[in-house]
Amino acid sequence: MKKIISIVILGLFFTLGLIAQQTPAPEQSRSILILGGTAHLGTGDVIVDAAIGFRAGKIDYVGRAFQVDKSKYDDIIDASGKEIYPGFIVTNSTIGLQEIGAVRASRDQYEVGTFRPNVRSLIAFNTDSEITPTVRTNGVLMGQITPRGGVISGSSGVVHFDGWNWEDAVVKMVDGVHLNWPMTHHKHNRLGKVDIRKSKTYNQSKHEITTYFSEAKAYATANPEASSREMDVRHEGMRGLFDGSLALYVHADDARAISEAVHFKREIGISRMVIIGGYDSYLVADILRENGVSVLLNSVHRLPRFKEDDVDLPYRLPKLLADEGVLFGLQVDARMTEMNTRNLPFYAGTARKYGLTDEQAVMALTRNVAQILGIDATCGSIERGKDATLFISSGDALDIMTNNLTHAFIQGKHIDLDNRQRELYRKFQSKYGIESKDSPK
Amino acid sequence: MINLLKTSFAFVALFASIFSSNALAQTPTQHSSTFPINGTVDKHLVRTILQNATVHIDENTTILNGTVVLFRGMIESVGTSEEISVNGPAITLDMKGYHLYPSFVDLHSTYGLPEVKLAEWSRNPQYESNKKGAYGWNQAIRPEIKSCDVFVEDSNKAKTLREAGFGALLIHVPDGISRGTGTLVMPVDDPRDAIIRIEASAHYSFRKGSSKQNYPSSLMGSISLLRQTHFDARWYNDATKRGLSGGTNLSLEAFNNSQNLPQIFSAGNWKDILRADKIAKEFGLEYIVLGGGDSYQRAEAIAQTGSTIIVPVNYPTAYDLSDPFLARFVSLTELKHWELAPSNASILNEAGVNICFTSEGLRSPSEFLPAVRKAVERGLPENDALAALTSNPAEAIGAENLVGTISPGLMANIIVTDGPLFKNKTKLVEHWVSGEPTIILDRDALNLKGDYSLTIGSKTIDMIVDGEIGMWEATEQVNDTTTNKINLNLDGRTIVMSLTRDQGLVRMTGNIWMDSRIWEGTAVDALGNLMEWSAVKTDDKQVDLVKSPKDSTDVKISALGEIIYPFTAYGSAESVGYENVVIRGATVWTCEDEGIIEDADILISEGQIISVSKRINPSEFLGSKTEFVEVDGRGKHVTPGIIDEHSHIIIERGVNEGTQASSAEVWIGSSLNSEDVNMYRQLAGGVTCAQLLHGSANPIGGQSAIVKFRWGSLPSELLYQEASPFIKFALGENVKQSNWGDMQTTRFPQSRMGVEQVFYDNFIRAREYGLNQYNYRQELRKTKRRDVLAGRGPLEPRRDLELDALLQILNEERFITCHSYRQDEINMLMHVADSMGFRLNTFTHILEGYKVADKMKAHGVGGSTFSDWWAYKYEVKDAIPYNAAVLYDMGITTAINSDDAEMGRRLNQEAAKAVKYGGVPQEEALKMVTLNPAKLLHIDHKTGSIKKGKDADVVIWDDNPLSMNAQVVATYVEGRCLFSIEKDTELRTAIKAERARLTEKMLNSSTSGEKLKKPSERIRLHYHCDTLTEENR
Repeated sequence: MKKIISIVILGLFFTLGLIAQQTPAPEQSRSILILGGTAHLGTGDVIVDAAIGFRAGKIDYVGRAFQVDKSKYDDIIDASGKEIYPGFIVTNSTIGLQEIGAVRASRDQYEVGTFRPNVRSLIAFNTDSEITPTVRTNGVLMGQITPRGGVISGSSGVVHFDGWNWEDAVVKMVDGVHLNWPMTHHKHNRLGKVDIRKSKTYNQSKHEITTYFSEAKAYATANPEASSREMDVRHEGMRGLFDGSLALYVHADDARAISEAVHFKREIGISRMVIIGGYDSYLVADILRENGVSVLLNSVHRLPRFKEDDVDLPYRLPKLLADEGVLFGLQVDARMTEMNTRNLPFYAGTARKYGLTDEQAVMALTRNVAQILGIDATCGSIERGKDATLFISSGDALDIMTNNLTHAFIQGKHIDLDNRQRELYRKFQSKYGIESKDSPK
Repeated sequence: MINLLKTSFAFVALFASIFSSNALAQTPTQHSSTFPINGTVDKHLVRTILQNATVHIDENTTILNGTVVLFRGMIESVGTSEEISVNGPAITLDMKGYHLYPSFVDLHSTYGLPEVKLAEWSRNPQYESNKKGAYGWNQAIRPEIKSCDVFVEDSNKAKTLREAGFGALLIHVPDGISRGTGTLVMPVDDPRDAIIRIEASAHYSFRKGSSKQNYPSSLMGSISLLRQTHFDARWYNDATKRGLSGGTNLSLEAFNNSQNLPQIFSAGNWKDILRADKIAKEFGLEYIVLGGGDSYQRAEAIAQTGSTIIVPVNYPTAYDLSDPFLARFVSLTELKHWELAPSNASILNEAGVNICFTSEGLRSPSEFLPAVRKAVERGLPENDALAALTSNPAEAIGAENLVGTISPGLMANIIVTDGPLFKNKTKLVEHWVSGEPTIILDRDALNLKGDYSLTIGSKTIDMIVDGEIGMWEATEQVNDTTTNKINLNLDGRTIVMSLTRDQGLVRMTGNIWMDSRIWEGTAVDALGNLMEWSAVKTDDKQVDLVKSPKDSTDVKISALGEIIYPFTAYGSAESVGYENVVIRGATVWTCEDEGIIEDADILISEGQIISVSKRINPSEFLGSKTEFVEVDGRGKHVTPGIIDEHSHIIIERGVNEGTQASSAEVWIGSSLNSEDVNMYRQLAGGVTCAQLLHGSANPIGGQSAIVKFRWGSLPSELLYQEASPFIKFALGENVKQSNWGDMQTTRFPQSRMGVEQVFYDNFIRAREYGLNQYNYRQELRKTKRRDVLAGRGPLEPRRDLELDALLQILNEERFITCHSYRQDEINMLMHVADSMGFRLNTFTHILEGYKVADKMKAHGVGGSTFSDWWAYKYEVKDAIPYNAAVLYDMGITTAINSDDAEMGRRLNQEAAKAVKYGGVPQEEALKMVTLNPAKLLHIDHKTGSIKKGKDADVVIWDDNPLSMNAQVVATYVEGRCLFSIEKDTELRTAIKAERARLTEKMLNSSTSGEKLKKPSERIRLHYHCDTLTEENR
């Protein structure tokens, strides 16, 4: 009989006592077969009584349990009665860039300057953040690490939430450039008097953005390869936008700003554009769909923007976009975005209650997101040949009470689901002599 | 009653005017002897007689063919032409066809006063007053300011005001919470004539104006400061008599001296009117209150205050809503207010409110009368409108012997119109103020209209003059089809004309004689030859100078929208009543010993839970005749209403009064905003009750308000009377201003060490305060009654609102809920409480509670925590989501709170996290947002569980309430269904329909002549109804 590996690791924790960070998992050396359970593949398909096999970090079997040849695998994990998901992916995240919001020294997401596409987030991603382990405990195993501020904030990269250092964690060094679309109209509030005005600076800002992109494009066209002679590092940061290797992420919520941005995409010739935020995206869904622009929706758990808006409008936005055929994913962009990342699965839970199907809700955290980030060739779904980045939950992972990970794998590596908070819990349970009701494994 | 009095007053005045003109002649002349005369004396011996007019003595009395005699700036007599006889020299002016009205009186004006520059927010805190002199401690309290001292006449503005009909204005410097005294002035050039009452009123507001002093930073702080000032002033008065005042305080001296004047409160929105009234009732005051133009939204409540309301007429202008995206920025409140604002005066009047109009907030006084006419158009009776312009304001400030009616002995302030005042076409022709006329339209203007025979030299042509006064047009009639334009310019009786002849331009100048029948003068032709010219009228086309304009009722008033409660999206015109409801066959989470009962019925009546059991027969409880509603609960879950121990919604203008280390005197309940749509959103999440807490900016925060979410009720009706009084305390980074920036480093405390000392210092002072009060009462008992009445009794200790609240804590009459994170300070505060002899009630947030749960248990304090927040501040780096589970396991009363409007509407999900993190049983987890917070708030005897006799605060869910699949089907607050999916759907439809109707109306208003605001240029929005108040500052 194959041994159940988790027990070994569980024992390891109690002997180590309090440790500052979770130890990254070793490379997958033994092949693993997850047997039984319901697998949500992230593709829209579900397999009941599934078998998912993987070796050397890659999935090599996806099928029904009764069909698989168990003898090909070193270890078997019994997942019967459980749910299997691709690792959830958080986007537009500052996790690893900021540890504690109020402590300036721990903030690394803002850089100085207006246009800084060459600034890249990945190299500031702190794999030893204490927040990341609490996030993966709930199934969020990958993230797009995104800088903030300015007009062009910089470039984001995609990481796994397990690694000794950022080189170890990287999935995609740079996946896109982030543009904060200027406000077309701004709200002016002075002494309780609120004005909505056409922004005086909008035309100027838009002109500057257009110029900046046009110059970058001219540069990229004239210099097909980066050369050391007359190299402009800022323009180099933009190069991928014009050949489709990078996406342009436009941060915008307002209908007018979104439609202006889509027009800009056509005007400049940007091949991939993604709207981040997108509160009003349902109002301009046609032009988004027709222009192949996808949306990473702002936190589902947020208040309606206008008093008159339907009370549940933020909950229903995913459904509205799904019905319009717009490709979308869910993200966490609210107060305390880092720590709130662990609630990302529950945003999908709410979106499901308010209209998405079970699998649409899973896709909004997995394959849709991978497609948007341009990493769907290797990530985002449970399919043969893809990374074995997936987890098992003893129940529905999109519901708070049943989200309870028993196993999680990143590229086949069996990761530690413990975190400092669980350690503190155990520490004081033992101080008071309270029985443990939490099962970290 | 009031009208009756006014009428009789008018009769007396009329009577007096006929028989007592001699006595009035002896009134002092203007510019009496204290002013030296440069030149020779004008003795003002000649009277002015305005004859044959329709004289509107006041709103109820009109004399047709009346005469008014003016003498030395005053009205000497009034009566019919037959009754009035004048001895001595007089000028008689024929006013036939004209109407005379008393001039308007405006109680809220800044005419002639320096502009107030409002303080801007500054990084540098200013904790103490920097005003030099023996004045009070807070710069927003300025009772020592006298408007008469800073008043400077302004000829241009005075003329504009006179032309708009204003004869008297009560002016004050609109700066501060106590603003000093107002002065009654007339808009005339000579300041010695202008001021007619030097100190006519005392003024107040909730706005601190130009003061840069930090305190108060919030509305509730302003309210407390004004209340404390009243207590201080009373004590100061008593103490000064005994020589115990501890120093001169000129501010309090002035405050006391102005208490007998009419008290005018510049409030603003209707909530501020009610807030002002609360202060008035507490201190036995009668405020005359400036409203904000939105008073109609709660006219009944305002009528109940009994206050005279000063009503502004600066109605909002329409927005250009043609861009549907931008149109979303204009709220339903704004749209509806735009439509209903002109009805404000008539609705208030109808409700029985005594109103006075003001020009406050108008860009130009000339907008005033048209705006008042709009109010009349909306149903305000004309006589009530006239009263609101004249006699009401005069009587409100006790100036009816000076202004407000056309009565003998009053200022000769009279408006002359060419028709009834409230008809749209009626023009102000003259305005007599202080007996001096301002000519607005020339009553003697010549009527040129007619056919003329124009002779220039030897040639004669036919000329036709048409048009109206001020805009005459002349043409030469060559034959039936051919005409030539003649340029014509009239200035008084001098006329200048020119016309083109064959040789070129002929220019003419001359005079008009004989009522425009003959014109004659000199002409110069193109060659420079002089010649005579004349024109003789051949056909007189009468221009009726004194028109009787058509009644403007032909202006069609389209149907108006209903007033909804609250006046915002999701408000309703009708209030929801109690229902008798039986919910059948549901899974009931009782949060009581009965646990979860499957297939149970709940009977609700009169706001209470009557029974919870299987198969209830309602008639057994209600009698067979009582009707009830059956609600199908099969497949549904029913829980108690969710209670949020820590919320900051429904609060207006400031949640923190964090400008001092202790702000125990402020009360969140004084600044509730019943119109906050977040209340509705919480109801949609099953929340029925919350503690609205002061912020955490200082160690001793303010008093909290425990409210039921009675959507649609007045602010005061939200307060839950069953609850005990609570106060917010706070610890850690916020109170030591750690994250406030580098400028905020001077307020004590700046470290956790100092925080402890703030508590000790304050509690020790409170204990002494209590002792002083006790000693006073003892001594008072020993003192003879006679001595006490004679003011020889012991001096009552100064009432200190801050120490009052702290003393209540020591006496365990008020309870602490303390914002807390780190274990060290949690421990510290428990020691403070132990040593002071009281028990802490609740630690809120309590993120490191799990580290000191044993000590908390020993102290007997409860915990209300976040489910999973952490990592936003340094002090929360050890916060863990298992906290609630540890506290629960240790037997501590544990709640989960929101502190956040968004999370507040999903508290059921936050409770589910206690199941996920730490395995708390589901029923117990639900109690963390129902029964347990009820216990912590001392309301568990009335709410928090589903039990016979408790408030029917009940939520129906479509699934297990702790599941992500649960959605609220209906929320009952005290048996009233204030949210349900069906009602919500109806409201959404209604909101869309009402917006569509108003949008169309606004867009159409551009075709009816109203100016639109273009979004591309500027849309002014008033998200809150405060805006008018802001303009008052």
